[in-house]
Amino acid sequence: MAERSQKEVWKITPWLMLLLLLCNFALMAFDARQTNTQQRVIRVWAQTAADFVQSPVTFVGSAITNYFSSISSMRTAQSENDVLKQRVQELEIEVQTNKGLTVENERLKSLLELKANTNYKFLSAQVIGRDTSAWFDTSIIDRGSLDGVKLNMPIVTNGGLVGRVTAVSPLTAQVALITKDKAGLGAVVGTLEVSNANGVVSGSGQKEILEMGYVPGSIEVKIGESVYTNGQDGIYPAGLKLGEVIEVRADSATQPQRIFIQPSAKLSAMQEVAVLLYEPPPRPEFEKTLPNAKKK
Amino acid sequence: MEQVKITAALIVAVLLQWTLRNVAEPLTFIDFPLIIVVYAALRGSSIRALFYATFAGIAVDALSGGLLGANGFSKTLIAFIVSEIVRRVYVDNLLLRIPVIAGACLLNDLVYYGMHRLLGQSPTGQFVPTVAYTLIGTTIAGTIIYLILDRFFAENIRKGKREVFAPRRQTRRRNPIRLGSRR
Repeated sequence: MAERSQKEVWKITPWLMLLLLLCNFALMAFDARQTNTQQRVIRVWAQTAADFVQSPVTFVGSAITNYFSSISSMRTAQSENDVLKQRVQELEIEVQTNKGLTVENERLKSLLELKANTNYKFLSAQVIGRDTSAWFDTSIIDRGSLDGVKLNMPIVTNGGLVGRVTAVSPLTAQVALITKDKAGLGAVVGTLEVSNANGVVSGSGQKEILEMGYVPGSIEVKIGESVYTNGQDGIYPAGLKLGEVIEVRADSATQPQRIFIQPSAKLSAMQEVAVLLYEPPPRPEFEKTLPNAKKK
Repeated sequence: MEQVKITAALIVAVLLQWTLRNVAEPLTFIDFPLIIVVYAALRGSSIRALFYATFAGIAVDALSGGLLGANGFSKTLIAFIVSEIVRRVYVDNLLLRIPVIAGACLLNDLVYYGMHRLLGQSPTGQFVPTVAYTLIGTTIAGTIIYLILDRFFAENIRKGKREVFAPRRQTRRRNPIRLGSRR
């Protein structure tokens, strides 16, 4: 193949740039059309390829971190040991008391004929990658479709709800955090089935702060109250803890109050998470026939 | 040979971008693929730089929560602009490359953010801090990486002597006696 002269290269370059820009723009426009999922062929392949790099790096990185943290924790081990011994004695007394309470609770439940709460199955996973861009906050976990992970499955930690699965490859899955602006979810302030303070929680534009809107102005919301999912969004089950109210601001007539929530899960420092193997119940037939319903 | 070396550097850059944030959070503010794309453009290979930019951009976007193609778009534009600058201005020394990588990083962030806003997406990161940290991180890392790349990859740099400043053109001294005698 004959080599191109410099003049020819200068002539081709702007046209090539335009072509590549158009391709990228088309890709972007296609990706922006669907906001509720990020499942794309390129993503699935890239995530599968990246798993072979991310998993070993995360393994080595966490091994080194654990080694150094174990050395530093040795210093405080003796004093901690004394405190823990005392705590064990206290807990033994508490356990004995709780056993009695459990028996009593079971008896009362059977009396009231309450159904036992459905326990969802969990799948533990490790965060092996974080978002490659400084502008976003998604994470990659080491469980994929081969493990039974599906789109929109909730991700939780012992602190509370973290987010949902937005893209699945055979070995990994991408998790969008609840702080992402578009991720609106139904929530309730206070105890579920008791409180009427239902609203929509979404990202606030600040890291690790959520905003709740559409709560009626007649309902008083106090700082420190807990916020839970109410299950009305068709993605998350009801009763998952989101966080606590840290600020309530009076707003416009259409939206009387804006509630700011501190998530109870540590979103920026999570290493171990659990995939809730929950699939929302199918939408009722009348919802599918509505004129604005999404057609497949 | 140089082509292979820069391609290898680009692949390493993409892999670093994929993994380093999980090791240390501040490393997310270094845009490794952008550094290599600008380096390829600075070396004068404009067509190659455009392809590198698109490939690296899409590879980074694939593991990001942002729009697929946004990084490819901004990096392709940067590669073209840097290629055009190189065509017109002499920037083959380290001190002149610093403002080039800083400007490229700033423009890349602006285009990336702007494209997301244009298509109705709101990035989670705050605008000013993210742009500022990325500018600082990428400029510092880019300067160091260019030193390393020049040391190991460039074939036209003499051993043990690196031209930090632009070489001054030396005017030839003429012998006045010989000038006078020539006819």
